[in-house]
Amino acid sequence: MARLLVELKLRLVRNALRSSTAARVSFLVSTTFAVLVAIGTFWLLAQLRLLSASVDLTTVIFSIFAIGWLIGPIFAFGLDGTLDPATMALYPLRTGPLLVGLLAASAAGAWPLANVLGLLGVTIGLAHGGLGVLFALIAVVLQVLFCIVLARFVITSMARLLRSRRGKDLAVFLVVPVFAIFEFLIQVIPRAAASGGLSPASFAGVDSWMRWLPPGLAAHAIQDASTGHLGDALARLGLLVAVIIVLGVLWVRSLDRALVTTDTSTRSSRVHNAALPLARYGLRGAVAARFLRYQRRDPASFAYWALVVVIMFVCSASTILGPHQHPAVVVASAIFGAAFVGSFHANPVGQTGPAFVFEAMALSGRRELRSYFSGQDIVFAAIAIPLLTGVSFGLAALVRDPREGFVAAAVGLAGLGAALAMSNIFSVALSYPMQKRAGSPMPQQAQGFGGYAFGATFGTLASVAVAVIPVIVLSNLTSSVSAAVRLPVLFGCAAAYGFGLAWLGVRAAAIAAEGKIPELCQVAMRTSL
Amino acid sequence: MGEPAIEVRGLRKSFDKKEAVAGIDLDIEAGSLAGLVGPNGAGKTTSLSMMTGLLRPDAGRIVINGLDVWADPSAAKAVIGVVPAEARLFERLSGEEVLEYAGRLRGLPAAEARSRAAQLLDVLDLTADAKRLVADYSTGMRKKAALGCALIHNPSVLFLDEPLEGVDPISADVIRRLLTRMVGTGSTVLFSSHVMELVEQVCDHVSVIDKGKILASGTTDEVRGGKTLQQAFIDLVGPRSKGEDGLSWLGSSSN
Repeated sequence: MARLLVELKLRLVRNALRSSTAARVSFLVSTTFAVLVAIGTFWLLAQLRLLSASVDLTTVIFSIFAIGWLIGPIFAFGLDGTLDPATMALYPLRTGPLLVGLLAASAAGAWPLANVLGLLGVTIGLAHGGLGVLFALIAVVLQVLFCIVLARFVITSMARLLRSRRGKDLAVFLVVPVFAIFEFLIQVIPRAAASGGLSPASFAGVDSWMRWLPPGLAAHAIQDASTGHLGDALARLGLLVAVIIVLGVLWVRSLDRALVTTDTSTRSSRVHNAALPLARYGLRGAVAARFLRYQRRDPASFAYWALVVVIMFVCSASTILGPHQHPAVVVASAIFGAAFVGSFHANPVGQTGPAFVFEAMALSGRRELRSYFSGQDIVFAAIAIPLLTGVSFGLAALVRDPREGFVAAAVGLAGLGAALAMSNIFSVALSYPMQKRAGSPMPQQAQGFGGYAFGATFGTLASVAVAVIPVIVLSNLTSSVSAAVRLPVLFGCAAAYGFGLAWLGVRAAAIAAEGKIPELCQVAMRTSL
Repeated sequence: MGEPAIEVRGLRKSFDKKEAVAGIDLDIEAGSLAGLVGPNGAGKTTSLSMMTGLLRPDAGRIVINGLDVWADPSAAKAVIGVVPAEARLFERLSGEEVLEYAGRLRGLPAAEARSRAAQLLDVLDLTADAKRLVADYSTGMRKKAALGCALIHNPSVLFLDEPLEGVDPISADVIRRLLTRMVGTGSTVLFSSHVMELVEQVCDHVSVIDKGKILASGTTDEVRGGKTLQQAFIDLVGPRSKGEDGLSWLGSSSN
């Protein structure tokens, strides 16, 4: 069974590689990345040799890997066909051999190997002497085994949920904290480390409680063995083995249940709204009502708004956390926030999917198309204006320059107008089909349309950056004028300018879309969400 | 033959040098319940997509109730209703909201759209699920909701692509009765299917399509030619199986 499932996994990978060039490139990138992670982790762990907090840092790194294994399957559900126990439910398999087979299938591949090789850096960084190295080898294998069993237990327990709509919705919501953590790690931590705010000593003592978690047990067992405390080291590894066995037993029970439980969705939800809003405003109102409902109920829509907020905070993070305050960065945050509002909504046909066909039946003339685009813009503006303004003022308060919040909000208004205009234009000029790809809970561009998505995103960002220049110039030219006069004028001019740009965008998009409805329908029908 | 509600002349469409529709001509009389039958990949969906203005043809002319679909799409789309093969609706709207939205898209006043939506949900046996999200609907419920969306503006010509695919017998009966009732009031229905029994039961006009060409078209009796429609269809398109000689091990007696 183990051999069969490992072969199945390898065959699935081979078939995916044969399917398209994009899949081959993706595999190559993933494998290269795995190699880099292995080398980087090995090097990082080896560098801890001379540090007093080496065991603390090793515990942290082991824990990060365990968290990665814990979260990964939630996003990668469907990526690995052997992950889903339901695919095995039709065959007369006993739980024991199936368990071994699934474990072997999990361990096969570039990433598990990269984990083992990378973590072996502890043989240099933490282990001392022959006994230390021996315990390091065992601890690393047990640590990776723990990660695999943990991931399998979680995925088997959640298999039914992740196949349901609510489970998939939950996975979409997880994108936001994961993105925030990622940005924190690559943007904020390096800056904090560069400014001296973060050093290895900062981790001293963190393992007072982490040492009792499985990754901590593995790390401390290596240290105990290296310092001659053989009994403690054995006890820790014994405890780790016990944890793995308990998890394994829970996994078996969960697997037994999953194999005989029907694949059903979770309870369906009912809505309480009696009717669609904006009834008095014709086609524009109808489209706005639909988009408004989606902003509330579609997790991807919600995630896009949350990502805008994260992006705005990350832009200003250096100023907020750093020793030197640069209030003008708040304006940059507003520009990026506005630009990403447009960029995230620059493909409404692909994001709507085949249901767009129903809308297309009512969208033949230029007038109807203007209503369609303006209906969307009204909803996006109704959410974006308070969001961008609120975050701008919040960031300005954090950098202790509230006046900069007014300037940022004004620039944000102008930027939003430009962003909506460009999103409308790109939604016709660079419309592309979307698909829910295995490995990502968020819909992405279909294979072969990466250039379209790239063009729409960077086209929107660049256009917004250019479009806000007049407002920034006006702000600078009036900087010596009293705030009571300057700020209302700046706000008024920026709002009018932004509105004008959005209005032009609606008209241009309607003209462009008038002869392209069948092509847009084809984009919609090629979308699989 | 009376005035044709659907008139197709020389319709062609190719995808990457593969001819999906190879010049079809079709006349469907007003008040007909017509079936377009063919094997998988015959060109049914492509033809219907072009007839409803959703796919641009390479050549040909389509006239619906005297309105050229590609010369005057606004006017033509106003008189037709479409139920696509995969009834993908707005997943995050409730059944009630989807129908109301379809009505408002078609220019109905909100109160009228709401009222018609409630009546259609009742007839389609979806009232109990009216406030559930479409995302939680079964295939049959989606098909019925899609039919409701296509009917809400009272179209004079209705196109349905595989309307009963994946639909349970009770829902299928509801859909069948609704289509028959529409035709009884003078509307025209054209639907594609590969379920011959269904087409034979309900259609008064049948067109057989294969490899992008119409092989036969006429009243159901004319196309059947004294045989069952299933047999007439197989005779027209030819058998596709290569025989079962290699499966000598299959079956209980072979163990």
